[in-house]
Amino acid sequence: MPGPNREALLGLAWTLVRTDFKVRYHGTIGGFVWALLKPLAMFALLLGVFSFVFGADPDYRLNLIIGLFLYEFFGDATKTGLASLATRGFLLTRAKCPAWILVLTSLANAVLTLAVFSVIIVIFLVASGRPPSLVALVQYAAYTGAFIVIVAGFSLAASVVFLRYRDLNQVWDVAAHAGFFLAPVVYPLGILPEWLHAYLYIWPPTPVIEFARAVLVRGDVPTLTAHLYLVGAAVLSLGVGTLVHRRYGPRAAEYL
Amino acid sequence: MAIIEVENVRKAFRIPSARRDTVREHVLGVLEPRRFERLQVLDGITFSVDAGEAVGIMGRNGCGKSTLLRILCGIYAPDSGRVRVAAPVTPILELGVGWNPELDAVDNVCLIGGVMGMSLAEIRQRMDAVLAFAELERFANLKLKHYSSGMAARLGYAVAFEAVRDLLVLDEIFAVGDAGFRAKCETRYRELRAAGHTVLLVSHAVPIVTEFCTRLLLIEGGRVVEEGSPSDIAQRYVDLLVSPETGTASFAER
Repeated sequence: MPGPNREALLGLAWTLVRTDFKVRYHGTIGGFVWALLKPLAMFALLLGVFSFVFGADPDYRLNLIIGLFLYEFFGDATKTGLASLATRGFLLTRAKCPAWILVLTSLANAVLTLAVFSVIIVIFLVASGRPPSLVALVQYAAYTGAFIVIVAGFSLAASVVFLRYRDLNQVWDVAAHAGFFLAPVVYPLGILPEWLHAYLYIWPPTPVIEFARAVLVRGDVPTLTAHLYLVGAAVLSLGVGTLVHRRYGPRAAEYL
Repeated sequence: MAIIEVENVRKAFRIPSARRDTVREHVLGVLEPRRFERLQVLDGITFSVDAGEAVGIMGRNGCGKSTLLRILCGIYAPDSGRVRVAAPVTPILELGVGWNPELDAVDNVCLIGGVMGMSLAEIRQRMDAVLAFAELERFANLKLKHYSSGMAARLGYAVAFEAVRDLLVLDEIFAVGDAGFRAKCETRYRELRAAGHTVLLVSHAVPIVTEFCTRLLLIEGGRVVEEGSPSDIAQRYVDLLVSPETGTASFAER
């Protein structure tokens, strides 16, 4: 049967993003700002505790805020994406609706928050007398773009699997909490033995956080191999996510 | 010209001996294998609907009517067979459900209109008419969680009848609301029919199918066993309910 046309899909996507913002933040900018207080409070707390351990590193504060904000995006977006079809399932049972649009639009508010986080990071860098160059900002944007693609791939797959395994969100919650300490968010990667680094880089937030720190704080440019690795991870995540979604998405309504 | 063509469509569901919906249940139950029964809901169903027709579907509970409508609306995928629907559809399958309780009526209509294939401009254009039909103008900005079931159902009717596309697919929907509102729905239904809209309607109510349909299909065992004039087929349906074994036997003999 004919599904929604392009104009209708765009309208639906906009309505989904707008109503999601309304529900999450009570439809106000104040609600959005209130939601930003959690990661900022977390930053203050972690800085207060870990500056006693890593206080000798002059870049620790900047590295912490970059790692924390990027991981906050990862945790929030994957959690929302995983549950997206279950929470918006009432639309799948009303009419023919492509499931992917429900998944991808559910990430919009997390992406918006990431954009605001990025502005705060830049403000911190400027206030610290380390204003990033335009090239560094473009590189950072590319890394976060790859990060969003990785999260989108995960969400496409996890959202349909979640309909079959209804405690997958709890399993993922545990994994994401463990991953917070696996990724070098609160500690510099350099304190771990070098042979371990390659394994830690398998966890997607690690390369994104490390590359972002490299270009914004240290002014280094990661190697071509490192860039290819990140691109490969993004392509692999989106590819696998799309395949799983195409396999199970058409029958998603049967599990609601 | 056929607007709906259904050819030899089959749909089965696997029913496990024990439901396992979580990772924990799967892990703990790894040493207790489950049995699966195959429930053949649709078993080679074939029919067509021409543009401008109002076709009713009757059948006993569990005979596959709702599954068939969901397949026609693209919500479920058939296991095999061919389904061709050559027009935009307004599916109204469950009136009281399918809303986001945290959003008001306007936003919910935008969402539902969107999944039904309407553009934002079309939805905004018809919003006042939808709210007026539902008699909910005063409560347009009230969250759906504060609506009564009757109010939510009225909103469902209103979307169905004011935001309607070429083909209207209805599942048991003339059963809600007070007498005044039902009369309003029936009047609107006749207007839509006069304007040439095609309707596919599932109902257990003989008066509804005889009054609102031009042709009736009787489904039994996942296939169309009889079709014809609404009064004849409705009588066959009643016979089937009164004496299921006799009814089934008579179909097998035909």
